Amino acid sequence: MSVTLSKLSLRNAKRQAKDYLIYFVTVVMAAALLYSFNGLVFSQEIDALSRGMAMLPMMIVLASIVVVCVFGWLVAYATRFMLLRRGRELGTYLLIGLESKQVVRLFFLENLAVGGCALAMGVGLGGLLYQAFRAMVLAMFGLPYRFAFGFSLPAVGLTAAYFALIYLYALRRSRKYIRRANIRDLLYFDRQNEGTVIRTGKGRQALFALSILLGIAGTVLLMMPDLTLAVIGAGCVIAALFGSFLSFASGVPAFFDKRPARKYKGQNLLVFRSLTAKLATMGVLMATISMIFTATLISEGTGLVFRGLFLGRAAEDSCFDLYISIDGEQMGLESCLDYVREHIPTERSLLYSIYRSENAQLLEYLDLEDDAFHYDYAQDPVLRYSDYAALRAIAGYPPVELALGQYLLHTQPHVAGRLRDRRDPIALGGKTLAPGGIHTEPLMQSFGVSNGTWYALVVPDEAAEGLAVHHWAYAAKTAQPVPEQDFYDLTVLADQVGFEWQVATKAHAEAEAASQTALCVFPLYYLALSLTMTAATILTIQQLSESDRYRKQFALLQKLGMDRREMAKALRTQFAIYYAMPAIPPVLIGVPFIVHLAQLPEPGVMVGANAPFAILCSALAVFFLIYTVYIALAYISLKRNVLPEAV
Amino acid sequence: MLQVRNIEKYYGNKNNVTKALDRVSFDVGAGEFLAIMGASGSGKTTLLNCISTIDTISAGKILLDGTSVADLSQAELAKFRRERLGFVFQDFNLLDTLTVEENIGLALALDHADPAAVQRQVRDVAQKLGITDILEKFPYQVSGGQKQRTACARAIVAGQSLLLADEPTGALDSKASKNLLEIMDAMNRDMGTTILMVTHDAYSASYAKRVLFLKDGRVFNELLRGDRGRPVFYHEILDVLAALGGDVSDVI
Repeated sequence: MSVTLSKLSLRNAKRQAKDYLIYFVTVVMAAALLYSFNGLVFSQEIDALSRGMAMLPMMIVLASIVVVCVFGWLVAYATRFMLLRRGRELGTYLLIGLESKQVVRLFFLENLAVGGCALAMGVGLGGLLYQAFRAMVLAMFGLPYRFAFGFSLPAVGLTAAYFALIYLYALRRSRKYIRRANIRDLLYFDRQNEGTVIRTGKGRQALFALSILLGIAGTVLLMMPDLTLAVIGAGCVIAALFGSFLSFASGVPAFFDKRPARKYKGQNLLVFRSLTAKLATMGVLMATISMIFTATLISEGTGLVFRGLFLGRAAEDSCFDLYISIDGEQMGLESCLDYVREHIPTERSLLYSIYRSENAQLLEYLDLEDDAFHYDYAQDPVLRYSDYAALRAIAGYPPVELALGQYLLHTQPHVAGRLRDRRDPIALGGKTLAPGGIHTEPLMQSFGVSNGTWYALVVPDEAAEGLAVHHWAYAAKTAQPVPEQDFYDLTVLADQVGFEWQVATKAHAEAEAASQTALCVFPLYYLALSLTMTAATILTIQQLSESDRYRKQFALLQKLGMDRREMAKALRTQFAIYYAMPAIPPVLIGVPFIVHLAQLPEPGVMVGANAPFAILCSALAVFFLIYTVYIALAYISLKRNVLPEAV
Repeated sequence: MLQVRNIEKYYGNKNNVTKALDRVSFDVGAGEFLAIMGASGSGKTTLLNCISTIDTISAGKILLDGTSVADLSQAELAKFRRERLGFVFQDFNLLDTLTVEENIGLALALDHADPAAVQRQVRDVAQKLGITDILEKFPYQVSGGQKQRTACARAIVAGQSLLLADEPTGALDSKASKNLLEIMDAMNRDMGTTILMVTHDAYSASYAKRVLFLKDGRVFNELLRGDRGRPVFYHEILDVLAALGGDVSDVI
């Protein structure tokens, strides 16, 4: 027989991984997440996609610092939790003569085994996850993806370093605890009573009311454009969460004690007693988890808003392979056109003018003069029909007809509805033109020196004769996507000529949108995933740690004649309340915040799948999808462990 | 062997102090089997915890073979527990991840003793306690009585001079209790193990050679078995318990 410290540690590690399977899976997922994002940091393929992607490694490393702190907290919490629950075992080690440093080493070794195993499995899984991220990034840039599994040594090294930090932090705390613990406290830990945080009814009610008010004020302040106010708002929200959970959790027993009729109704007694045993002492933890969920939901919503913003803008800016415009009635595009002739082979192109109407009938109808997002057209912008038809051909849109005596409107979707209601004819160049239809494809209509801001009148060529030129523009369909260097060279040339100008290429707009999306969405979702997993794991560890108590309780209830179905129902209700509680405040705070944020960009961008409501639904769906996985796993595990066998 | 001198133990804070032990003094000679009895809250487990270095004393002295346990450093205390003290608890305190054999030999193995010698010592003591056939099993595979015998084996395998038992029959049925007590009696009689057992069960206490009765943290009475038979001693214990104040209901 040879029991060594390492053998004992290994056995304990196996048991730990089995007893806390959900925690172990989360640690594996943490390693996978860290590795896969580190893979993006060190990928030369990703870095070479666009200049904008140069920032990605830094953004991910910054996010990783937060993620390491979050997982560090999870591992420290779970390690401490297990340590406390194993007090009797640790006490026994000390009792039979192990020195505390031996117990520390034992604990260190078993955590090293668990962490090492999770790291190894996580890196393997992370390799696959990295492929998923790689595929996403390549898809964003419109590039083909080919599966190519491989390990990045620098990414493995950085992941191991992060893991070492996480575990060293947790084990340092555990070492302190073990060294200071006395055998008596360890042996009799499970006999100690838990304490409630707030006891007096009046104080509790006042704190709860104040917390609700703070929560409302904080949510409103969070939506303020002023950063200081938003920070104050965040502080109020945090204070509100802690205040409300501390007062509410410990107030539940008092609520039912005062209302015996409700207490004894149906399964209320069973459910509420099961819950209060935990909730009364879990106020701080619940508030922390609720805070984490709020941050998660806001991160997910913000990520989607940014994604929608970048894609929405890119849709407008990428309608032509190449578009150049410079302000001024005189044509100032010569140097740019020379450059294009020399460097960029084109299949079709058009040099054209955008005219000023003689009046501002539509501008006045739309009441856009004071709109902060609307650019400087004092009159309605006008396009000749022949130019418009050529532009449509260059952009690849189907041709449209303009009937005699009519005009067309080309608008962004957000003003189309309002203009559709206007049936009055317009007067132009001595002619009266009736509305002939509205088209809403992207056509460079976001800025001043574009094809009209948000809308343009398309009129017969003869009606535009004699109108003043607002500016000149050039659009082209190129033989190949315009290289990024050519785009930058053209911007330099345009800047030398005009005060206000615009250069857009489909290739640059799409690459820019893809890299900006990657820069914002990847770190935000990285954070959101880590936060959700951490908080849901802690909730689940807490819930599953009660398995023994629940099992005994249900065994007793069975003897008292309770039906198994009723027990399952009581367990479900208790479970639902337990998991819903920390998720309610994030929804109340996150929903208005996300909707507000999604409405901030200029009109016409957040539309379709990126409309505020769609973004809200997507953010909630992502959040609850991950949360539900944990809830389902915990419920299945608890149900299997605690409910008596069906007879 | 063991000298307990005027020990006191207080719990609580400055607003609410509980005196768990109040100037308790007694000696335990080598090879003695002493039982400590008392009602719940009388201080008997606190007394055992103080002697076993699990808990600290507020005043007084505890000397084991002339060494004051309060004066030992943490490392010395660990060595002291490893070499001199053996523990048996009501709920066994065995490690689930280890087999019965490994549970018994763990402290020796971790003390870097020769593995062959460890196995020899473990098998030797297991034979004496009648648990040789369960050595390969895990604690959850054996009965309560076998678990407690395993705990006894662990408590004496390293040649510990004092076995401290806290309600060792508390979680056992009457048959297993009787079996365990007979084994403890044999350990004391044949192997010369000194035993200090805390119990509220008169039947268990009747196996001891001497019984100390605690009440409200003080030694209330002392009963020596002498040459009397165990059944007679058992009834005398019951008499003292009755005089102690209606604790007969605690007795089997």
